[in-house]
Amino acid sequence: MLISYALINRFHILDIHPEKSWVRNLLEQGFDVYMLDWGTPTSMDKYLDFDDYVNGYLDTYVEYVKNESSNDKITLQGYCTGATIATAYTSLHPESVKNYIATAPVIDGWRDTTVISNLAKHMDVDKMVQIIGNMPPEFMYYCFSVLKPFEQGIEKYVNFFKNIDNKRFVDNFLRVEKWLGDTPPIPGELFRQWIKDIYQDNLLIQNKMYIEGEHVDLKKIDMPIFTQVAVGDHLVSPECSMPLHYAIGSEDKTLRMYPTGHVGMIASGLSQKKVLPELGEWLAERS
Amino acid sequence: MQSESPKEISDYYKHLSLFWTDIIHLMSSKPQALASIGPMRAFAANSKKISTEMIEINEIMMEFNQHLGEYYKQLTETWTTAQKKVNLKAPEVPQDIEQIEAFKRIWIDIFDNDFTELFDSEKFGENYGKLVSKELELTKHWNNITNVILQSVNLPSKEEIDEVYKEIHSLKKRVGKLELQLKKKELKKNTK
Repeated sequence: MLISYALINRFHILDIHPEKSWVRNLLEQGFDVYMLDWGTPTSMDKYLDFDDYVNGYLDTYVEYVKNESSNDKITLQGYCTGATIATAYTSLHPESVKNYIATAPVIDGWRDTTVISNLAKHMDVDKMVQIIGNMPPEFMYYCFSVLKPFEQGIEKYVNFFKNIDNKRFVDNFLRVEKWLGDTPPIPGELFRQWIKDIYQDNLLIQNKMYIEGEHVDLKKIDMPIFTQVAVGDHLVSPECSMPLHYAIGSEDKTLRMYPTGHVGMIASGLSQKKVLPELGEWLAERS
Repeated sequence: MQSESPKEISDYYKHLSLFWTDIIHLMSSKPQALASIGPMRAFAANSKKISTEMIEINEIMMEFNQHLGEYYKQLTETWTTAQKKVNLKAPEVPQDIEQIEAFKRIWIDIFDNDFTELFDSEKFGENYGKLVSKELELTKHWNNITNVILQSVNLPSKEEIDEVYKEIHSLKKRVGKLELQLKKKELKKNTK
């Protein structure tokens, strides 16, 4: 199983704490897990686009995992924006994907009800990419800071000081804070295509998206697919993720909704007790 | 000058500034004035560009400030409305040991709801988009000024560096795809 993590923050959230580790849980259930680190783009990487990520990086990793595990097909999981890339990959290379797991995927930009989507719709992304190149992390921090600003900006830190004597709490808090404060820039061209094709023109869900001339047809996703959506997701709203379930060509498809948030779905007590056991059960039946 | 409009005053200074930069440019073009290979001549030859950029920066700054003012106005209005809602709710909070905690919860919930509503609104998105756009234009003019300085010391401009990056990207892409194709072919061969 290969995990295509999001383009924002780092992949180690999936293994951030032994008791909340997505990776550890899957390993304990008997699955081999590979994770993909997209690295840190520099100014030189401003021309990296969807084609580089889908047909370049992800395809190379899939080939690597296929070779390592001596399999013709692998299970692919995509999380958040990593799921958009994985969805495009699965449509363009269905012969390499045995099962597909879409966790909080960014799919239908017009139905997204989050603040991020509102900001994206009004962005002059051509001007942005032409002038500054890569999307700087500071700009993304601003976008995140307007999501639940008082809960995240005040209540979270009040709680921290209330629990300052609790070693376990402080340990968990600092791990997540460190992760939150570490996000790489997004390559300019990829960001431009992202904002235009997903949020402004909404091409993916309308089956009108093309990557380097190749049609990303969601109907070609015909392998077993498991879609995981968080009801309280304020980064990728359920309305943005769920349309994938109805748009794909697969007959073996499962949609699960969980009473948690975007990060809660992959790194929390609930993910250990509910999300991962259900995923493991689904996967075991198809492995 | 006193009876003239701000636009006329702005035009007056614009022409005055361009007149002097033209004079400096003409003076520096004389071979006897400065050595033709030195940085000062190259800089002076392009100094008109810097003046033009500075004038345009000034104009964009005015628009930027307008959108920044609207941005803070929207935030302030939302804050005031949310605070009024909290004030109306405050008397309903039971006066017990949990009072402060309950009040804080109400305050955070109301403020988060109202600000999320603002950030989700068309008027905020539109103004914020324009604010960022003006900031980008400022950056563009700053880049143009920097390019003049870079060229005066025979260094490549941002556009020239971007061309190199584009070429490297294109080459890396081609090599990467060829390598992947080769690997896939080799794998197929080995499995046979």
